Amino acid sequence: MTDAQRQQAEMASMAGVIERLAGELALAEEPARFIAALEAEEDVPPDA
Amino acid sequence: MREESLTAVATSIRARTLSPVEAVERCLERVRKWDGRIRAFIRLDEEGARESARKLEAEAAAGRWRGPLHGVPVAFKDLCHLRGLPTSCGTAMPGYFASAQDCTAARRLLDAGAISLGKLNMTELALGAFGDNAHHGDAENPWRAGHATGGSSSGSGAGLAAGFFLGTVGSDTGGSIRLPAACCGVVGLKPTYGRVSRAGAMVLSWSMDHLGPLAWTSRDVALLLQEMAGRDPADATASRRAVPDYLAGIDRGITGVRVGLPENYFFQGVDGETAAGVRRAARQLEDLGARVSEIRIPDPQHMTDVAMLIARAESAALHADVLRNHPEMLQPTVRGRLEVGLGVAAYDYLQALRLRAKLTRAFIGEVFDEIDVLLTPVIPEPAPALAPLKATPVEEFNIRSGRFSRLTRPFNGYGLPALSVPCGFTTEGLPMAFQAVGRPFDEGLLLRLGHAYQEAAGWHLRRPTL
Repeated sequence: MTDAQRQQAEMASMAGVIERLAGELALAEEPARFIAALEAEEDVPPDA
Repeated sequence: MREESLTAVATSIRARTLSPVEAVERCLERVRKWDGRIRAFIRLDEEGARESARKLEAEAAAGRWRGPLHGVPVAFKDLCHLRGLPTSCGTAMPGYFASAQDCTAARRLLDAGAISLGKLNMTELALGAFGDNAHHGDAENPWRAGHATGGSSSGSGAGLAAGFFLGTVGSDTGGSIRLPAACCGVVGLKPTYGRVSRAGAMVLSWSMDHLGPLAWTSRDVALLLQEMAGRDPADATASRRAVPDYLAGIDRGITGVRVGLPENYFFQGVDGETAAGVRRAARQLEDLGARVSEIRIPDPQHMTDVAMLIARAESAALHADVLRNHPEMLQPTVRGRLEVGLGVAAYDYLQALRLRAKLTRAFIGEVFDEIDVLLTPVIPEPAPALAPLKATPVEEFNIRSGRFSRLTRPFNGYGLPALSVPCGFTTEGLPMAFQAVGRPFDEGLLLRLGHAYQEAAGWHLRRPTL
């Protein structure tokens, strides 16, 4: 297997995991809610 | 002085039983004697350190004190920009990174009176868990020749353990403060995301990077964090929260603190002696009054994958210039890791960022309803011998590197504070460590727990024979 093939395989593996997990995301979920979670600013989680 | 902690040296200087010049000269003497082997420094700034020491000594004689670190020798990972010194970021290019302003975290320590001895070795571009560096030489573990220091803040861990300085600043994108702390038998803190400004430091991944302190004791780390932490107009991600007094309650003990040992993930595939060392530390915490229980936690593998994808994409974007135009300048292992990131799809990257928010919220809610501190190993095996590792093909090396950081990386994703504390030695004489993880911005509790443990266990009083 070449370096390029190995990299493609690694990328595909990571993308597969993300795709599987992303199926459970609520429409209202967004990246900024990460900071909100740390700062405890959220009243209602988007998946409530 | 080598056997003393940062706090003890700061106290002696304040009491005028030790001068800043003496403190610096003693450190420099050790550096001259041993750094040919340890390779902690990329750039030693002897003259700059001496000049600062003389100035601070004169100020002390006149009764003027800059702050709690007055005259204490420190050094910085060579991705912290400081005016007057080049910042290689561990590459072969001395001035790889430049910034319009000094690294805020480093500058705050200097403003509190610390004296910089120079810039420290690191894995190239902070990409790698073992601390090897083809351009500046592999930093050597002071506890056992030929063994990894842990990375990427290799010079920070090794130089501290070798007694070259008393405190340091590292960066942590997947474990780069905690891995060298664990491998080198010192304390390292990855603070909450946003607790310490990252302005003026090279970025590897803006979503995952954290700056934090390393020192011999939790008390020393508290003292350093006190100065480093807090809002910074130069870093939009720095939290506006007030910084608590980390030293005020550090002696209060840990009676009633709920400590959880994870049933899943963190003890799986971990070396038996390391796992036993962490469980023994948990029992000692129980003897000190903590309530220890086992807990099942949301699968951290999900966050490990999410954090890895985000870091790969961001690091490739940030370092695309060198990767595309001068790939021959990079170590093959580093180049290989960056290249993977070039192929991450925007769709996957954005979904990963959304997942990060969801997973973090779930983890905080589920875990910290039941416990106050999660206790895990830091490294899955003791610091490995470096030569056999380096003899493996690039792909195998990077897989091993990923495995070595699998216990630390989830907390870069969650953004939670995580403290690495030494908890004994293997039969081969290599340091072991536990990782204490807390609620967002609850560094104070972690430092209190680390301090209570160290005072009782005393491992920090042992020093390597060079």
